[in-house]
Amino acid sequence: MNLEDLQTNFQHILLDAECIDAGWVRESTRGLSSQDRLGIYHNAYRIRLIDVLLDTFEHTAVYLGDDWFHQLATAYVQSYHSTYTNIGLYGREFPRFLAEQLADDKEVSELALMDWKLRRAFDGADSTVMIHDDLQHLATAESGSIRLQPVPTLSISTQHFNTLDIWHAINQDQQPPVVERMAQPIDILIWRKGHSPHFRSLAKIESAAIALVCSGDTLEVIGAALEHDFPDVDVATEFGVMLHRWLDDEIISIPPQNVDVDARPSVQ
Amino acid sequence: MTFGFGLGLRTQHYNDFLAAPQPVEWLEVISDNYMVDGGKPLAMLDQIRVNYPMVMHGVSMSIGAINGLDKDYLRKLKALEQRIEPLWVSDHLCWTGVHGRNMHDLLPLPYTLEALQVVKRNVEQAQEVLQRPLVLENVSSYVEFKTSEMTEWEFLTEVCQATGCELLLDINNIFVSAFNHGFSPASFIGGVPIDSVKQFHLAGHQNNGDHLIDTHDHSVCNDVWNLYRQALMHFGYVPTMIERDDRIPPLAELLSELDRARDIANDVLNSKIAV
Repeated sequence: MNLEDLQTNFQHILLDAECIDAGWVRESTRGLSSQDRLGIYHNAYRIRLIDVLLDTFEHTAVYLGDDWFHQLATAYVQSYHSTYTNIGLYGREFPRFLAEQLADDKEVSELALMDWKLRRAFDGADSTVMIHDDLQHLATAESGSIRLQPVPTLSISTQHFNTLDIWHAINQDQQPPVVERMAQPIDILIWRKGHSPHFRSLAKIESAAIALVCSGDTLEVIGAALEHDFPDVDVATEFGVMLHRWLDDEIISIPPQNVDVDARPSVQ
Repeated sequence: MTFGFGLGLRTQHYNDFLAAPQPVEWLEVISDNYMVDGGKPLAMLDQIRVNYPMVMHGVSMSIGAINGLDKDYLRKLKALEQRIEPLWVSDHLCWTGVHGRNMHDLLPLPYTLEALQVVKRNVEQAQEVLQRPLVLENVSSYVEFKTSEMTEWEFLTEVCQATGCELLLDINNIFVSAFNHGFSPASFIGGVPIDSVKQFHLAGHQNNGDHLIDTHDHSVCNDVWNLYRQALMHFGYVPTMIERDDRIPPLAELLSELDRARDIANDVLNSKIAV
């Protein structure tokens, strides 16, 4: 048997649900049978990936309980092969998998998506954050040419249930509240400030504004869009308030070519 | 040149290394844990690197994979190498997956002439990117293959001689594989080129009676300490570290274990000088 066939066969044995014996393994006169020896690798593959899911989806695992989480994680491992050299990325499809498996318990996949995004923010790309002094530069420029750049760890996800309350309760070792569908879905902002992932809920106008920032629109376009969608709001005043909060939260970065000040705070 | 004794840097010990100088001459970092875009892992690495020389130890190069090496992985590895300027860069003589899949395990190779050509090709590619010799570690294994045409130590010797790569001998892995497959650990130690050995790993394993599992979650057992003693007698001084990957104890416990390695090395090397 050549190397390609051996590696392909070996890999199939690890990926298949049942571990079978293989004629290409040397039968030993001591200790375990060849099938039991292959079983060590077969089991280790599953244990390793389930451990990664447990680590990544910590709050989801607590919410589901050990047995149910293990059952779902085992099914995921059998259905999804890892294509990543970074094992930490293996859970990328797990929230979607949970949404399919637990169609009547959608708060579980929302909780899993939150776990996933917080973990990805933890070691996401660094950037130089914009500070309040930089607003002077913005004030002197034409709003038609100004674009804000979000920090690379920023993301928004929409929740339809009281998932945020459930996450907080689990995080504080408390009994999670009874799941409830909210009258209106809310958007959750997730990003990293300093070394720590952060999140908070967003009002409709702020979520819309951040989405426009992420799309690369100019301040002029953003202002016009917000005035159109929120006619009862004093958009100029509201945008100023939001911008100050974004700078406090460190969610706006400066493109590397525009960094001209030493010792700028850096999002790490 | 001597580099002394080191430990594997683990997240549980970041604060210990940042708070005060620790009695280790160098630290080994798992390359893959720092091949990320940013955040706390890289910030901690940069801060600790200021005070400690480092070596890089990878688990995902898959040097024995028939499909060849992942260029994106090599690019990220090179970037990390340029960032921390390690003493050397190591990975394992194994494969981790083929056809775009990753098993996230250190899978054993058949020791065949065909596998030898594949490993030589891949080592040369890695060394071309890294612009330095790669250091390869022997893995613990639980299966052997009917197609193997040589021993593991003969295979390693051929790879070293053909490519100029060097060796990280994991003393525990030699012990585990020797037990599981019934070969003599002394044959392994006596069978690899002395000048190629760059580093020793010492670690613990789990004894299941009729087989051993390389868990790296126990302290080093007496059998492995004895084998370390034999290795020192054969190779002379080699930079040595304690490798713990699970059930990480307080740093003081690992430092105590490292002191035992120092004591054994001093004892063996002074005896050699006296002889």
